[in-house]
Parts: sequence; C-alpha cells; structure tokens
Amino acid sequence: MTRRARLLLCVLAAACLLPACLHVALHMPPFGAHPLPYGEAINALATRQRHVTNMVSAVNFDYRGLDTLGEEFMLLGAVTGTAVLLRGSRGEQLTARPGRVGNRPVAPRSDAVVLICRALAALTVLFGVYVVLHAMTTPGGGFQGGAIIAAATALIFLGEGYRGWRRIMRTGLLDAAEGGGAALYALCGFAAMAAGWPFLHNFLPLGTPRDVFSGGLMQIENAGVGFAVAGGFAVLFVEFLEETRAERDGDGA
Amino acid sequence: MSILIAALLLLAAATGSGVALTRTPRRQVMAMAVNGLVLALLFMVLQAPDVAFSELAVGTVALPLLFLAALASVRMDRRSDRARDGG
Amino acid sequence: MSQALALFPWAAATWLLAIGVYAIVTSRHYVHLIGCLSVVQSSTYVLLLAVGYRRGAGPPIFYTHPPGTPAVDPVVQALVLTDIVIGATVTALLLAIALQLHKTRGTLDPEKLRPMQR
Repeated sequence: MTRRARLLLCVLAAACLLPACLHVALHMPPFGAHPLPYGEAINALATRQRHVTNMVSAVNFDYRGLDTLGEEFMLLGAVTGTAVLLRGSRGEQLTARPGRVGNRPVAPRSDAVVLICRALAALTVLFGVYVVLHAMTTPGGGFQGGAIIAAATALIFLGEGYRGWRRIMRTGLLDAAEGGGAALYALCGFAAMAAGWPFLHNFLPLGTPRDVFSGGLMQIENAGVGFAVAGGFAVLFVEFLEETRAERDGDGA
Repeated sequence: MSILIAALLLLAAATGSGVALTRTPRRQVMAMAVNGLVLALLFMVLQAPDVAFSELAVGTVALPLLFLAALASVRMDRRSDRARDGG
Repeated sequence: MSQALALFPWAAATWLLAIGVYAIVTSRHYVHLIGCLSVVQSSTYVLLLAVGYRRGAGPPIFYTHPPGTPAVDPVVQALVLTDIVIGATVTALLLAIALQLHKTRGTLDPEKLRPMQR
C-alpha cells in the first residue's frame, strides 16, 4: 500500500472512530466519582479476609491470581521467543570483542563512573529486594521489585563494562530464575490442589496484618513473580547487548 | 490537587506526542525515557504508587536500554545472509 | 471550567491513542513504529487509572490508614501494573523480530519491504 493510501485509510478510520470516542467521553461518569463496585468491595474486605494491607497485591496474587498466572506465562513466552529469535541467528557462544560502528572509538570509562555504579548497583539491588519483600504491606511487589533488580544489572553493565558484566550474568542462572519463577507460581496453584483446595486457594496461615510476611501463599507467588521478572528482563538485556558485539571470527565482519 | 493532575495529564500528552513524532529512532529513545518519567509522576498523583514504581523501572531504564541496544545492533549491520555466504 | 476539566483525562487518553496510531501509520522505521506502539499502550494506562481515580481518596494501601478510609480502585491498578511489565517484554519480542528482519532484508523501512518479496 502506498503512503497516500495508508494515510487515507487512517483518516477514514479516524472519522468513524472519533464520534464514537467523543460520545463515550461525554457520557463517562464524572472524573473522580466513577462507580467502582469491585474495587470498593476489595478495599473494604481484603484486609480482613487476607490480612494484607496492599490491596493491589491482594488483587494480583489472590483475588485475580489466575490472571497473574496467565501474565507470568506471557512474560515467559515473550522472553523465550526473544531469546530463541536472537540466539537462533547468532548462536549461543559469547563474543569477546565489542562491535564497532565505522571508526568511532570506544571511549574508556572514568573511575568516577565505575565507583558510582558499583555503589548504586548494590543499593539498587537491595532496594529491589526490599520492594519485592514488602509486597503485602506497602507499595511494592514482584513485578516492580523484579524490574528494579533488572535495572540494577544495567548499572553493573555501565560500571563494569561488558566482560565484567557477563561474568556476573550467568545465562543459565538467569534462565533458571525466569522459568523457575513461573514454575513456582504454577506449583503454588497445584500445591493448593494437592492439599484438597481449589487451584491457587490461599491455604497457608495468613499471618498478622501489617507484618512483612503476612498473606500466606501470596508471599510465595510474589517471590515467584519477582524471580521471573528479574530473570526475564536480565535475559532480555543479555540477549540484546550480545547483539551489539562483534561477530565471531570468520564471519567477514 | 486537581490542577496538578491536569498539568501532568497535559505533560503526558505532550511528551507522548514527542515520542510519536520524533522520527529519528535514536532521539525517540530519549523522548521515551522522558515520557516514562512523566507517566510515573502522573501515576503517583493518581494515587497509584505501585504502578508508578513499575513504570519508573520499566519506562525509564529497561525499555530505553533495549531500544538503544537494538539500534546499535541495526547500525552495526549484522546481516545473516552475509554470514551464510561466508562474506 | 470544571466541566472541561472533567473531560480532560479522557481527552488525554484519546489524544495519546490517536497520535500513536497516526505515527504508526506514517512511520518509516520499524524501531520507531515499536516506540509509537508503547505510546498507544500508555493511553490505556492513563484511561484505566483515570477511571479508577477517586477525588480526595488515598492510595489503596491501608498500612497507616485503617481499612475503610476512602481509597482509589486497586483493580485497575493491578491491571496496569502487570501490563507495564508484560508490555515491555512483548516490546522486546517485537524488537527482536525487527532485528531479524534487518538481518535478512537489510532494511527497516516498511515502504521498501513488499510482503511477498524474497
């Protein structure tokens, strides 16, 4: 399709959609006073029923735990697909040489960057673990904490350079964290079934509200999500940054 | 409070347009990081600290890094057909 | 004034969707196109969180406030929270496909690629 035809089609579709959008926007309940029966029920009941104070985690890991299982496998599928696509054409070996674009020199890192990154990376990992652990009480959880931990690995890359980074980021270990996390989540569901409850039923002791280790089975599911997200993003970083390395000898690059 | 939400919505719409209309992918990555930051602030003001956390970590670190790595790889022009033909 | 302000969140979400789709349609680079897709995605986040917002309410976390304090909707927050993380990995998958395309065809311009061309 030519550019002109595509634009024409876009304008036509917009002309059909825009009145519909306008109609919906004008008939929406007022902003800030939307009726929210489901959310209100959870806000009113979850602390009493599940002994957790973070309602978002209660929805994620308990009331809609099955949806999160689906999300887990979407994550696993997307990461696996990326790894298969990139490794499929590149092979699994690692390359030692950095890739070059033209004759641009690779600037050396300054000592200040190395120092700051070493300090910040450790602190960021610690903060990520803190966020994962406090899923049930304060804002946080496996999704956020896992993403923060993965962000810390990017800091390690910045400070240590590629070779030092790869010495820390063992691909096998990351793959295991990614898949193992998703498996842990699924096994939580089956464990509940083995104990005679419905799938993903929260059958462990719930603990006391406002305690870090409250929430029973939600804690284990949360840890599984944390492992899967941190491992998944780390695998993605490794795969994409490996793409920027020079091709292996004999490739004529 | 309402003014803050309105201002951040406006800013989110503006930075989002910036991402969409920046045609050079390398510059778009920077626009994307700014947009992620603004969205994180907006979510914070909309009383969603959990969402703000994940937007901050994903939108300002993970996504730009993946895009930059992908762009670097494209610029290095690793062609698989060349590798197959032996150069 | 307040009437116009009440329409603002929906207008912002619609604008993000529209500008993202427009940029996708006119995109000349697949990496740019994937970036625009993340803008379209962010419009859904803005919409959902605006729906769940309640004037004068706090976050749905009852650590310092007792349960029963007005709080915004946790359900939409759970939706958006998981989608941000999962969306990023799906974006990575799209980028990997784009890289693969560049390796086999040598270009990332949709105009230069014809569907059945070898």
